[in-house]
This record gives sequence, C-alpha cells and structure tokens, in this order.
Amino acid sequence: MSGFFFVDPELYRRYKDQVLELSNSVQINVQEHLPREQRRRGLSDREIAKRLGLDERVVREIRVVAERDRYDIEEWQKAIEFKDRACRAYAKDGASYVFEGRRKR
Amino acid sequence: MTTETKKVRNRRDQTFDPAVAKDELRKEALRGGALACGVADAAAFTAAPEGQRPADLLPGARTVVVVGGGAPRAGDWRSPLHEHQETMGTSDRINSLGLKIAKLIEDRLGFFALFVPPGMNKGNQPFLSVQYAAELAGCGSPSLAGPLLHKQYGMLYYAAIVTTFPFPVDGPSTEQACPAPSCVEMWERERTTPCLRVCPIDSGGCLGGEIAEGGFRNRRYDAARCTTRVYTHWIPGFQKSLEAVLEEKDPERRKMILYGSFFTRTLWAMTYSAQSQAQCYECIRVCPVGTERHDKA
Repeated sequence: MSGFFFVDPELYRRYKDQVLELSNSVQINVQEHLPREQRRRGLSDREIAKRLGLDERVVREIRVVAERDRYDIEEWQKAIEFKDRACRAYAKDGASYVFEGRRKR
Repeated sequence: MTTETKKVRNRRDQTFDPAVAKDELRKEALRGGALACGVADAAAFTAAPEGQRPADLLPGARTVVVVGGGAPRAGDWRSPLHEHQETMGTSDRINSLGLKIAKLIEDRLGFFALFVPPGMNKGNQPFLSVQYAAELAGCGSPSLAGPLLHKQYGMLYYAAIVTTFPFPVDGPSTEQACPAPSCVEMWERERTTPCLRVCPIDSGGCLGGEIAEGGFRNRRYDAARCTTRVYTHWIPGFQKSLEAVLEEKDPERRKMILYGSFFTRTLWAMTYSAQSQAQCYECIRVCPVGTERHDKA
C-alpha cells in the first residue's frame, strides 16, 4: 500500500492525546460569539502542526483517527440505551422528567 | 441592519437595487417553507478557521444568505421511539430550498451563488460552519446545548448560500434565546438546566456549563462522546462496528456482528439518505425555547 497515505501507528500513539487536546474535540468556551479574551477556540490542523513540528497532513490524519478512537464501541451501545431512556421518559412525563423530585427514571 | 441603496450591475448590464432584491429573496424563501431568512457579511467570518470562510469557497464572496426551517414537528418530538427522528431527518427540506435560492440568485440576478454542501470536507470538517453563518445572519443565537436557537422556533435546520451579490446585511441578533427564563429559574433552584441534566459531561454525557448574569458561561462539550450519540448508526458507528468485525477471528462470532441488529441498522441508516442525519435530540427535546408549537392535543 505504498501509494496510500496513512499515519504510522507509532507516530499516532505518540501525538494523539496532544492533538485532541489542542483541537476542537473537547471544547471549553469555543463559541464564536464570545469575546476574544474569553474564547478558547480549538486550533486548526495547521496551527497544531506548527506547534508540534509536524506536517499539517499528518496532524489532520492523527486528529481524524483519534476522534473516532477516543471511545470504544461500548460507548456506541450506551448511546442507544441513553437515547431510549431519555426519549421514553419525555414521552411519558414531558420535560418535567428533568426536574428534581419529579424524575422517574 | 445596513441600508445599501446603491444599485448594482451584472455582466448582462442589468441593474438591481440590493434592498429590493433582498425583499424578493426573503419572500421566495418564506414561500418555499423557510421560517427564518437572513444575510451575513462574508467578511464577518473572522472566527472561522482558515479554509472555512466564504471567500475560500467562492472567490469574491460578498454575502451569505441563510434560510432556516424544516424542524421536526410536534408529533416527532412526542414519539417514545428515538429511532423515529433518527430515521426521518428533515434537514433535506431546507437544503433543497437552499439549492433553489442559489439558482434564483444566478438566474434572476446574474451573480455567482454557491450552495454550501451540508456534508463533510476533508479532515472530517465542514466546508463552512452553517451554524456560524446562521448566527451572523441573525437567524438565531448560540445555546448551552450547542445548536443555534431561534427565539420563536427553537432549533431549526439551516442552509447557507455564498454569493457575490451585495445583499444588505442583517448581522447577528442582539436577542439571546438561551437561557430561557425557566432555565434560569431551574439553575437558581437546582444548579442545573434541562439540557445539562439530560446529558451531564461529568456523568457520562456531553455538556457542561453554568448560568450567570442571565447568560450561559464556561460551556464544556465532549464532541467525541456526542458523536457516539448523534451518529450512532452513521459513518462513525459503521467504522466502529466494521473494526469489531475485522478484529473478530471466529467466523461464527463474526457473522453474529455482521448480521446483527447494530450493523444492520447502521447500513439501513447510511443508505436511507444522502444527507447527514442527526440521531440524538435529547438535549434539545427538553429545551423550552420554541416549545409552544409542540403543544398539541
């Protein structure tokens, strides 16, 4: 597969946490409407590449793989259970199911 | 709103009053089913990453027209089956209106118009954040849950059209829909809001934040976990379950995964429509903004 570009797994393991932390994967005050001094936007792939001394294309691949790799397949199964529980609770009790003392889950 | 009265001329030597053209465009949009329609300044996307600004898609871009609508109906929100909304996504309605608006600008006004594709560009990134465009066009305001909220209609789907035509710009709304008064009261009483309670980031969910001085502060969002919920049976879910199939050495066990309900539903979802379908609505289901329309018998 010499003509197909993908990131070396060792390189991926070395940088994935840093890349995710610098990107938009976990967001804290990233919204565009926030004042410049409050906003903590995620960095672009180009900015991360510059900071870590990597090629932009390598950073992009590390980020895309890491975003999918972050949670195991079990989290996907939990997602189904979460949605089923929340949706049925709303159908039964309306939005009141989220209020303290009125939760029946 | 800026008022631009200077007429503009196209290459066919036709002249147009931008304000009149905008009025006609808005009427067409509303007639086509839009609940919201606004115009953003193409130069205002300063907070967008490089490569995801209007002029990156269309050189010479001057404005971005945004139409919003196609929200799930009251009955959709009421269904106890979360799979229902996952399957019948309504965003394609507003996208077809967006394509119509782009055609209208080119055919009637003779200026370039580019419909922003709703799918993904390279690096799993949007071509342009349609939500940011909608915010800059005054169609809604940011929320603690994430989606842009229209003061009257709550969550809407949006389509954006980048154009070289200088429509008068609406600009961002000064009215904030989030937090709703009932959410402020809930925060004062319980130190949480409906969306935060449903999906708390510190207890296996995606959202964190607080309410202060009538606004939301310190919003936290786990995009990767949200992906597991929004795209359970979509490309990400397919990648994860395919990985499980490929890792399984036992042919009988492999068959159980491959023919099983998760993999099967994922394939159905992916082939059902060419649009990205959201598959989790739980933070917005409990959001009080725009819910007056959900009150049916």
